[in-house]
Amino acid sequence: MQDQDQTEPLVEQVRHALSTKTPVNIVGGNSKSFLGRPAQATSLSITGHTGVVSYEPTELVVTVRAGTSMQSLNALLKDNAQMLPFEPPVFNTGTIGGVLACGLSGPARPFAGSARDYVLGMRVINGQAQALRFGGEVMKNVAGYDAARLHVGAFGTLGVLLETSMKVLPVPEYELTLQHTLGNANDSSGLIKLMRQSLPMSAACIVGPTQYVRLSGSESAVKAAAKTCGGEPLGKAADFWQSIRECSHPFFNDTIHSQSDDKRALWRISVPEFAPLLPVEGEWLLDWAGAQRYLKTDAPADTIFASAKQVGGHATCYTPDRVSADTALFQPLDGVMQTLQKRVRDSFDAHRLFNPGRYHTELDDELNRASAAEK
Amino acid sequence: MSSNTAEIQSPSLEAVQAKREAYASALSAIVPSGCILSTSEQLKPYESDGLTVFKRSPLLVLLPETIEQIQAILRWANEADVPVVARGAGTGLSGGALPHEDGILLGLAKFNQILELNAELGFARVQPGVRNLAISDAARPHGLYYAPDPSSQIACTIGGNVAENSGGVHCLKYGLTVHNVMAVTVVTIDGELLQIGSNALDHAGYDLLALLNGSEGMLAVVVEVTVKLLPTPPCAKLVMAAFNSVEDAGNAVGKVIADGIIPAGLELMDKPAMQAAEAFAHCGYPTESAALLLCELDGLEEEVSAQIEKVTRVFNACNVDELRVAESEEERLLLWKGRKSAFPAVGRLAPDYYCIDGTIPRGQLPYVLRRMEQLSAEYELPIANVFHAGDGNLHPLILFDANIPGETERTEALGSRILLLCVEVGGTVTGEHGVGVEKINEMCVQFDEDSLQQFHAIKAAFDPKGLLNPGKAVPTLQRCAEFGAMHVHHGNIPFPELERF
Repeated sequence: MQDQDQTEPLVEQVRHALSTKTPVNIVGGNSKSFLGRPAQATSLSITGHTGVVSYEPTELVVTVRAGTSMQSLNALLKDNAQMLPFEPPVFNTGTIGGVLACGLSGPARPFAGSARDYVLGMRVINGQAQALRFGGEVMKNVAGYDAARLHVGAFGTLGVLLETSMKVLPVPEYELTLQHTLGNANDSSGLIKLMRQSLPMSAACIVGPTQYVRLSGSESAVKAAAKTCGGEPLGKAADFWQSIRECSHPFFNDTIHSQSDDKRALWRISVPEFAPLLPVEGEWLLDWAGAQRYLKTDAPADTIFASAKQVGGHATCYTPDRVSADTALFQPLDGVMQTLQKRVRDSFDAHRLFNPGRYHTELDDELNRASAAEK
Repeated sequence: MSSNTAEIQSPSLEAVQAKREAYASALSAIVPSGCILSTSEQLKPYESDGLTVFKRSPLLVLLPETIEQIQAILRWANEADVPVVARGAGTGLSGGALPHEDGILLGLAKFNQILELNAELGFARVQPGVRNLAISDAARPHGLYYAPDPSSQIACTIGGNVAENSGGVHCLKYGLTVHNVMAVTVVTIDGELLQIGSNALDHAGYDLLALLNGSEGMLAVVVEVTVKLLPTPPCAKLVMAAFNSVEDAGNAVGKVIADGIIPAGLELMDKPAMQAAEAFAHCGYPTESAALLLCELDGLEEEVSAQIEKVTRVFNACNVDELRVAESEEERLLLWKGRKSAFPAVGRLAPDYYCIDGTIPRGQLPYVLRRMEQLSAEYELPIANVFHAGDGNLHPLILFDANIPGETERTEALGSRILLLCVEVGGTVTGEHGVGVEKINEMCVQFDEDSLQQFHAIKAAFDPKGLLNPGKAVPTLQRCAEFGAMHVHHGNIPFPELERF
């Protein structure tokens, strides 16, 4: 792994962007360009800003620069029998900065927690070209607002991620995945019942009529829990979960990065695990015990947004090239929430230097600063 | 615990009384008169929170009964430029709920209902004044519980827990409040009602839920909280291990974790703390040892048995002096009782004690304990140590006597030195008690000027006029300049560009 601190040149680039009021498009491994529309702006690459700043396995904390590739970070942790418990996707060339900026977590999410849950600290460059530091390298820290976690899932629109400290955990001693054919396809009610019991579950998904449950822990505990769960052991389970995590399962064929004739869009819909199946025509894959659902559909964006909202969730389009250019890709924010989020963005990047057009475009216009000042 | 160096000249009693009456009369149009407290006897209990060295009388205490009333109160305060300090049970240890002398104190005690407990789906929707333990009590018959368990859980409220992002003994494995809250409903300073989060696992837009947790009542007033309920582990076992040196005990903590075990709780007490706890709770601690570890393991019986075997092996390899696995539930609870009563137990050793709350990287423990011993000698004040060892959260308890002139000030100074020591080794000035008014000066050392300015900008995004809990949590740069003049850090004067006073 290259060890390269480019804080200074990156700050310099932001300073230049600020002085010329020219926005930048922040890029890491460019593996998630299908999430949001890349900003039409000069690239600011973080891929040269790499390396482990500190890693002490017994502290369960790793501090890395944002441009560090997921592959090298995972390899380092694996060498020490540890892992990022939120099981983020690698997408081949992905960086840890990109994973956190997009706020992505894998199949373990409902059981282990999300990307933001494992972030302990963050160094970022804000829209005033200041390198800031929030949080720290310790598990418990309530000094100052939790601005570190705020950057997770902000798609770089609050600042350029420089460095992050994350909590890591030991790799489980033993894992077993059980598959089971459901009476009704896409029925997550059985999973919800399992989740209310004290079982060492670490992943749960449904593909069509088949339910998959992963158990992780000591061998004796996993084997005992397997009796409660029922179902048949799945071979090559690690490959299966990797295909769900990386969106490379056959379900995802002809969606992301595909030129095929299938013109259906792919949506990610985040809802309470117990929400009914949305009344939208299409093909479903349920991960996170039903709380994260992928949908291949022709249905219009408005229908999808409305039905997700109806059950207390939100939707994201994963195939921008299959919807019209003026279609929102993220669940539109409105009312007081929109105003507040705009103000938060304003507090970090008043001039909208970072990734305009990438994330919620309704947050892109600068606030009416005169009226804000009046207040 | 930092003294306020810039005391404002207090206005005359008549002027204060006139303002009090004017506010009360305006507010009587918004809330029933029985919800407005204004006499000095009524205000007295609200003068401080759990950090009693700071006391201030608010102009009024309001105890609203509906969300609409809270909205109207905040709208009025925003119009009239009146500071508002929200308060739950007032158990906080950093002065976060210390009233503003020119403002109103918004007590949320009447919001004490569990609105919904859904055992099937594993969540509870509660009002902010519901006590932490009451949630677990209500969930228990369903085989569920709410994981964060601050030691004040019998009294502290969930609204206060959100404000402070409270932890507890079990947060090493189960996380802090921020990891266990799914949604909050808040009222903003302009009286708008807003739900942040939901029963889904993530939400559109920026993660304001993460931002609200631990924001010390500075961004909005929480009026409803949805918490995650977890299945109660079928088995919990406690291992007690005594060591002849604190270093060995500290080492054992690191080795347990290196061995791939995340205990539900991992607590360390030094000799003075252990002896005090033993004298208080008679729980059978080996008081001749230098340090005591309590290591709780929970989960399926099979998992727990496997882990007990592993930690026993680790402790034996770390020169354990005495090792005991609690045989019965009674014994387990008794061993915990000693730890949980450590604060009042230490309180019996001296007329007063002051609890510090810093976090350090675990590996720095031996160094930090050595430095604290030196500082204890230098300031001539004894220290007893209670330590959430698993996650590096230190609670040194400084023993002092407030009746001896100068001793309180010396205690404050020692406390501040310990917090700065935590920052020096890469830790933080507060692990779980919050900054409040107590550690506001030390924030100047932990954060640089630009980061503090960013915090102020975040605050302004929610509360442009700065009316919610003003003066807490984030120091002004001017305050830092004054503090820097007293404490030169590593030979560098912070904020050299600001004028000195």
